[in-house]
Amino acid sequence: MAVRSQPLAPPRPRVARVGATRRRPVLLAVATGMLLVGALVLGVAMGTVTIDPRDTLGILGHRLLGLDLPVTWTEQAEVIVMDLRLPRVLTTMLVGMALAVAGVTFQGLLRNPLADPYVLGTASGAALGAAIAVLIPVRSAILGFGLLNGLAFLGALAAVLVVYRLARLSGLAPLTGLLLTGYAVGSLLAAGLAMAMYVSGAGLRQIFGYLLGGFSNASWEHLLGAFPLVVVASVLILLRARTLNGLLLGEEAAAHLGIDVRRERRILLGLASLVTAAAVAISGLIGFVGLVVPHVVRLLVGPSARLVLPLSALGGAVLLAYADLAARLLGDIPVGVVTALLGAPFFIIVLRRSRAGYEL
Amino acid sequence: MPVPVCARVALIALLAVVLAACTGGTAGTTGPEPTASPSAASASVAPSVEPSPTAEFPVTLTDDEGTAVDIPATPQKIVSLTPAATEILFAIGAGDRVVAKVEDVANHPPQADALPVVATFEGVDTEQIVGLAADLVIAGGNFGTPPDAVAKLRSLGIPVLVVYATTVAAALADIELIGSSVGASDAAKDLTASMRAGFDQVATATGELPAPRVFYETGTLDLAVYGIADDSVYEELLTMAGAAPVTTGSATNWEMSTEILVTADPEIILLGDGAYGVTAEAVAARPGWDVLTAVKEGAIVPVDDIVVTRPGPRLVEGLHVLARAIHPDVVLPSLAPVVP
Repeated sequence: MAVRSQPLAPPRPRVARVGATRRRPVLLAVATGMLLVGALVLGVAMGTVTIDPRDTLGILGHRLLGLDLPVTWTEQAEVIVMDLRLPRVLTTMLVGMALAVAGVTFQGLLRNPLADPYVLGTASGAALGAAIAVLIPVRSAILGFGLLNGLAFLGALAAVLVVYRLARLSGLAPLTGLLLTGYAVGSLLAAGLAMAMYVSGAGLRQIFGYLLGGFSNASWEHLLGAFPLVVVASVLILLRARTLNGLLLGEEAAAHLGIDVRRERRILLGLASLVTAAAVAISGLIGFVGLVVPHVVRLLVGPSARLVLPLSALGGAVLLAYADLAARLLGDIPVGVVTALLGAPFFIIVLRRSRAGYEL
Repeated sequence: MPVPVCARVALIALLAVVLAACTGGTAGTTGPEPTASPSAASASVAPSVEPSPTAEFPVTLTDDEGTAVDIPATPQKIVSLTPAATEILFAIGAGDRVVAKVEDVANHPPQADALPVVATFEGVDTEQIVGLAADLVIAGGNFGTPPDAVAKLRSLGIPVLVVYATTVAAALADIELIGSSVGASDAAKDLTASMRAGFDQVATATGELPAPRVFYETGTLDLAVYGIADDSVYEELLTMAGAAPVTTGSATNWEMSTEILVTADPEIILLGDGAYGVTAEAVAARPGWDVLTAVKEGAIVPVDDIVVTRPGPRLVEGLHVLARAIHPDVVLPSLAPVVP
């Protein structure tokens, strides 16, 4: 395996592989795009209630395209397709995309192959926020309608903010300081989470469900709440792909390229944290997607963030959409289990097949 | 570097699974949860006043969480998401309108056997509930039914009545609330009247007898033994059955310290976890327990925790089980089956 374990090692020249991978990005984009359409079709067609595929298509045509079709389906089928299945499959795609984009950004920013969207405390912060929401003595009425999601979102952002501020106070090199502070703050929040779980009584199941992540209660409200945040922040990150490439060369090299390293790092960190927070607020903590998808994409198309960012977005959406389909088929098991089960072996295969020269 | 954080979260998560699995096996799904929710306890039942003997729809009822639930017409497709609600619905003659139920370890009543199961300890299948065209869902409070599932169903326009009883009076009020929600309030009131009479009979039968000190064991987790908290429904039931309950000394802590137990020296130990593998021999062998009067005299009795803890129509039967375990010679009237 050629993954760099020394984050600060000088990057190798990467001219040699460009020719070999020139056509791959297009193929990969087409393939993932087709897979996404497939996931969408399967996502609305599959479920515990059997609905005639013609009815499913009719409902989609009628409601999404405004076609004037004869209504051959029941009101219930329409609710199931439009309000349960469709928002769910779209949420998996949005969250998968968000986690993968955040993963690419954090790995590039921190120049660390083990970085994932949760590396700077987002996961612990979100989990603690969700746990506090469960502990607040209001019940179904408010909890279901966004208190948990809101506090998870704020918790994730607050954790990153604290990590960033504390890291700047440390005398360490910026990247080392961020990673170590992220670890320390994450541990502290995890202790708070453990305490919250200990006193949560019957609410433990709710907190635990959040930690495992899942989409069984996906809704249009949650989806539309997270959608603009994820999309706008992802586009802004994509517009900074050149900066991200520069930062990968190291601080000095980036500065020579005319990049205001501190400012750009702060902006990218903020955007990636925003994307992550929006995703974990509606889905809970789903691991693996944000770590592995960027690596797989880099192994296939090389390290340029201009390619890696959009292709990872597609890849993350595909991975999580299919992982959730599998989770539903297996009786609505936690989707995080499936992402690891599907993703880890695939990752190992890709690593084995990769030739030398892989780098962030 | 990031891995240890994840590992830590994972470890906590694992711990949670273990905890959830253990409490689920002993007391979790079948009765009042061992943690009384302050809000649910205080916001006890207030069914809106019904003007006439026959229930009229539309009706707006306040559920145990204080939510106003609008029920537009007499429900014809009811989904029961608590085992107690399933029993109640069948006992008040609304069983033929129940279209789906929650998984029930006790499978009671038998008439509900054929119903599709749309919820388990793991979660609620909202898609199936929608597919069945449910027009009323009875759900459990204090996280008995996941709050996000309740919110989801409500957002789809399905009325959801959340019930959660922490006292015997609240359990009776819930029966009447469910009765009002399905248009069977007369039958529900008849049921609660007969249950009140049943409670009184037990109280009369045990009233003159001396009240022994009783420790009711709700579960175990490794070396920890869980008893009953102060002011819990268990304490209330044991008192009604003619016992002097030994409690943990706290209203929120259910773990029984051996020190408190030895000081209180129970004369009888009731094993509510007897159905889950705890035996009298195992209890007697616990370190420090050999000094207890109950252990010395071999007064360790397993009881059917489902009838004791399920806040439904068989609560009188549960009280009989307790009274007989506490006073083996007590004479109690025979019980009529609750489902006609």
